Amino acid sequence: MATNTVPGPRVGQPTSLAGKAAFEVDDRLIVAGPLRRTLNKVFPDHWSFLLGEIALYSFIVLLLSGTWLTFFYDASMKEVIYDGTYAPLRGIEMSAAYESTLNISFDVRGGLLIRQMHHWAALLFVASIVVHLLRIFFTGAFRRPRETNWFIGVTLLVLAMLEGFAGYTLPDDLLSGGGLRIFSAVFLSIPVIGTWVYFTVFGGDFPGEVIIGRLYILHVLIIPAILLGLIALHLLILVKQKHTQFPGAGRTEHNVVGNRLFPTFAAKATGLLFIVVGLCAALGGLVQINPIWLLGPYNPAQVTAGSQPDWYIGFVDGGARIFPPWEIVLWGYHIPPVFWGALGLPGLMFGALALYPVLERVLTKDTASHHLLQRPRDVPVRTSLGAMAVTAYVVLWISGGNDLIADKFDLSLNAMIWFGRIGFLVLPPIAYWATYRICIGLERHDREVLEHGIETGVIRRLPSGEFIEVHQPLGPVDAHGHGQLAYGGASVPKKMNQVGGARRAIRGFFKPIEEPAEVQRQAEIEARGLESEQASRELSSSGRPSEGGRPSEGGRPQDPRD
Amino acid sequence: MSTTDHSRPGSAGGADEPGQLHGGPDDDYGPEQLAAMDRTELDRLGARYDGVEVLHVEPVAPPGSPLDKRNTRQVTLWFALAALFAVAFVVVYAGSGWFLPSWAWSTGSSTWSALYTPLLGALFGLSMISIGIGLVLYVKKLLPHETAVQDKHDGSHFDRVTTGATLMGGLDSSGLPRRKLLAGTLGLLGLAFGAMLLSLLGGFIKNPNKGNPLGTTPWADGLRLLRDDGTPVRPGDQVAGSLATVFPAVPGGNKAYDGAVMLIRLRPEQLSELRIPAGREDFGYGDYVAYSKVCTHAGCPVSLYEQETSRILCPCHQSQFDVTDGAKPVFGPATRPLPQLPITVDDEGYFVARGDFPEPVGPSFWNMGRLG
Amino acid sequence: MSTPNASSVTPPEGGRRGLFRRRPAAGTPAAAARDRRRSKQHRRLANVAGLMAALVLTGVGYSALAPGASAADDSTGNPSNAVEAGRELYTRSCITCHGSNLQGIEGRGPSLIGVGEAAVYFQVHTGRMPLVRQEAQAPERPPIFSEEEIDQLMAYIQENGGGPTLPSGDLRAGDLAEGGELFRLNCAQCHNFAGKGGALSSGKRAPSLEEASDMVIYSAMLSGPENMPVFGDNQLTPDEKRSIINYVQTLKAQADPGGAGIGRVGPVAEGLVIWVVGVGALLFGIFWMGTKA
Repeated sequence: MATNTVPGPRVGQPTSLAGKAAFEVDDRLIVAGPLRRTLNKVFPDHWSFLLGEIALYSFIVLLLSGTWLTFFYDASMKEVIYDGTYAPLRGIEMSAAYESTLNISFDVRGGLLIRQMHHWAALLFVASIVVHLLRIFFTGAFRRPRETNWFIGVTLLVLAMLEGFAGYTLPDDLLSGGGLRIFSAVFLSIPVIGTWVYFTVFGGDFPGEVIIGRLYILHVLIIPAILLGLIALHLLILVKQKHTQFPGAGRTEHNVVGNRLFPTFAAKATGLLFIVVGLCAALGGLVQINPIWLLGPYNPAQVTAGSQPDWYIGFVDGGARIFPPWEIVLWGYHIPPVFWGALGLPGLMFGALALYPVLERVLTKDTASHHLLQRPRDVPVRTSLGAMAVTAYVVLWISGGNDLIADKFDLSLNAMIWFGRIGFLVLPPIAYWATYRICIGLERHDREVLEHGIETGVIRRLPSGEFIEVHQPLGPVDAHGHGQLAYGGASVPKKMNQVGGARRAIRGFFKPIEEPAEVQRQAEIEARGLESEQASRELSSSGRPSEGGRPSEGGRPQDPRD
Repeated sequence: MSTTDHSRPGSAGGADEPGQLHGGPDDDYGPEQLAAMDRTELDRLGARYDGVEVLHVEPVAPPGSPLDKRNTRQVTLWFALAALFAVAFVVVYAGSGWFLPSWAWSTGSSTWSALYTPLLGALFGLSMISIGIGLVLYVKKLLPHETAVQDKHDGSHFDRVTTGATLMGGLDSSGLPRRKLLAGTLGLLGLAFGAMLLSLLGGFIKNPNKGNPLGTTPWADGLRLLRDDGTPVRPGDQVAGSLATVFPAVPGGNKAYDGAVMLIRLRPEQLSELRIPAGREDFGYGDYVAYSKVCTHAGCPVSLYEQETSRILCPCHQSQFDVTDGAKPVFGPATRPLPQLPITVDDEGYFVARGDFPEPVGPSFWNMGRLG
Repeated sequence: MSTPNASSVTPPEGGRRGLFRRRPAAGTPAAAARDRRRSKQHRRLANVAGLMAALVLTGVGYSALAPGASAADDSTGNPSNAVEAGRELYTRSCITCHGSNLQGIEGRGPSLIGVGEAAVYFQVHTGRMPLVRQEAQAPERPPIFSEEEIDQLMAYIQENGGGPTLPSGDLRAGDLAEGGELFRLNCAQCHNFAGKGGALSSGKRAPSLEEASDMVIYSAMLSGPENMPVFGDNQLTPDEKRSIINYVQTLKAQADPGGAGIGRVGPVAEGLVIWVVGVGALLFGIFWMGTKA
């Protein structure tokens, strides 16, 4: 960490104040080594690797805004008469929890912003977890040695949903009270122990007087603590195992190509943190979410049309809606349909999700460690299974809001239910088949380009009168003009400008930021420079840095590196 | 770095030489060697020790060049914007009710109070997003784009064997594999300890079968049917084709989740197609019928009454019940009819219940057919 | 509501009493009130006329031919003429489905006996009647008849069929909070917590109250059009109806303090926003971050 390299009074000792301070710190804590290892850590550079970070940053927003809210929220079901700012509810009897949420919205300066920010961040948290999970799934990033982290991730998703549901219930408004009532019915539906679970959770018959307090402690202490611990573990394992990467030039199973943590990756990640926080704040101010003052306090006799949970519970609700009225009654013992629709179906889905790495290992007998990702097209069965699961989920999800869809698009509600029932059974296999065909088609096209080259768009007429399209081979060809390149799992160029055969694309994300003529000139310079660069890359073409700089390795056990 | 004067109090004295404090590299590279290297060399040297090789550095625009100036301006602009938005946030947040209009919400007019939260959110969000964009642009335009490669190690066989030896050595010296009785006792202790901790959860458990709370409701013989505001209902109060939510006349009756009842006066057309289930011939009163408002599927208050089609729809999961057919479910996931409340009229001409519901109200549960 | 039913176990004799801490309703905007008053001016006159005519006519029997019967109404216009004009309109536009004696025709239209002018006001004013074609539910359209013609139709139906009449006075003169509680108990299950409407079974719908005027809401409660249950004056008193209208109209006029209301339909719209706007913007953002400068 020396900032000074000029020999001072004692050789190598820092002369600047910061340098001296850094040495003092390291004298006591001996952190220079671990810190350097951390700063030097290489992260691969791909946009899809930032999805998990979005989830992490929305969790940070949740922790901060949630802490702020606890100072004003009162988790009590004590009945009070409202006498606050919001006139249409004055004189109405409500729980202290609902009243304090109204006060946060109307009487605490900036309270509504923080409340809405918290709620939007919660929706974003679960949404980004799902998108992150899809990326992991479709690229095969869950394979050995990362099964543990996959399992932690699925647990995090389930916990995030429970955490969200508990938070959704806390304001004790008409919508959340109805949701809690449905939850109580789900508890009741469990065979044998259902009534015991129900009475244990609610401390008696619904709604009782303890449930809000219990959900509160779950929401602000127990689940967040578990989430925090699991997230830390998730990241620790990630750091320990190093990030996966897509196959490409110089990328092997034994290296990571990308940017060092400091400064590039750290700056980008911090930038993303600010963007996520900013987005949550902008949504929190500009788009109204969960207007509890319009919903009114919870009353078991009241309900509103379009009773839905937040989006991440929507598929559970959809399952409960489309499940047929099949109640098993044997000797006076009942298993109601809610049990299958709202508990069995999600249980099955998350169970299959959690166990998927194990299932795939057993079925493919692939027990090797993998650090290179797969393109979804190269694993058509997994990709198709994923598409099938996503389709089933989306059908359930649509069914969770089918009354609103029926109302807004002038459809029959009963027809929407039948769409859900039939669609849940019919659409996933169709999705499987379609995805499988698409994957195979893309795979074949890759092979074709490798074998025959890129279509140039140049049509040539042969002396015989036959017209052919000229193909640009990607590498050396055999006597028949067929390419000798093997498919390496990486993206195959399909256009001439991707191989430098045409002018490269003009840069600019929104609009061109460079002159075409200038690009042409640059291209010529680059072409000249390329040769020398290739020569220097030869040295490290093994993918490993040369071992020359490590003379002290002999005999001494290596430092734990990650 | 280390104290060399061993004669001071607190030091052990004698030959207390420092061991190898920093590991190998310090032997390979002495301070003089390091001092002779420039900063980039040192950076690359350290990186190499961490298994990192910098492959390629794409330089940024040279300092002072027009491109560099433009890039710097651009990044600076975003950070300046962020600061501006942050200041504006503080002005709006603190200034409302001071030199700006009050933020306090009032139904009706007050444009500022409706703009307050959106404005705060927009300014806060824009400030944060501007910082984010500024940082990303910094990386993209002002930092050299470096491509590095780090090697990835498999687990070390050496580590596994030596760690295993240490662990097994400890186990061996404890003698537990030999001392069977001690080991067995420890196992039993573990079980007993776990049971002790688990038993504390007993504080949560409530008996759902004490007093049959799930099979009964507040309704009882002679209880009046009250509206939400506590007024009783006469048969003349409702017109044909109406529905009113009524509650049992007990303290807290209008807050009991299982007490809400839909009192429906049927139209003549509905009466003509009314099918009364066996055993419930006297449950209604004239053209009035009373059904539990709690859905038998998941407990939502069903009350979307379609008086022309005689259907009652639940807004939560779309179960539909036919009031002219004993409130049997005709569509959706519900399996049981809504329980019917037997009603009649008392001496003063007000509706009263003739007893509790004949079956449990609300969602099905395991032993509902076996309640006492 | 404000206290449990404890005090009401012995019900107060005859009286309907709300247990609310009643407050004066929040001042309705003067402009809106003026507007309302103006638009109701001649309607109210016609109401009075219709009522008077009905009373008088009941007294002397159905003697529409007797010229002396309408002698009492000289200043407010001739109700017999209104009824006559209404009969004309009825014969032209309604008789096909509702029959020559308002008795209704099986499979086409219900009986109009006893529905009263309230039903006519609601159905014709919202353009639901006359019906263009038979379907699950009559759609809302711009009214076909003019205000005057509607008044004439109302007079005709009221005279020949009888039934609930339209109210007069300020239809928002009710307690705001009590209206909210009644709205959530009696209306929100179909019309949604903010009056945005909702789906019913098999393609039927509870309409949005967004465009509904005070009188339309009142007449709907009174007459129970189509699948809507009827809320007679002994079930929801006129005061309670006015409270509900006050609440609905206040909610409609009220700005959303938390930004765009996204339809005030609840979590489905919120889920759509987080996926389309939230996740969409961030995907775009990280894609931009991934591209090289």
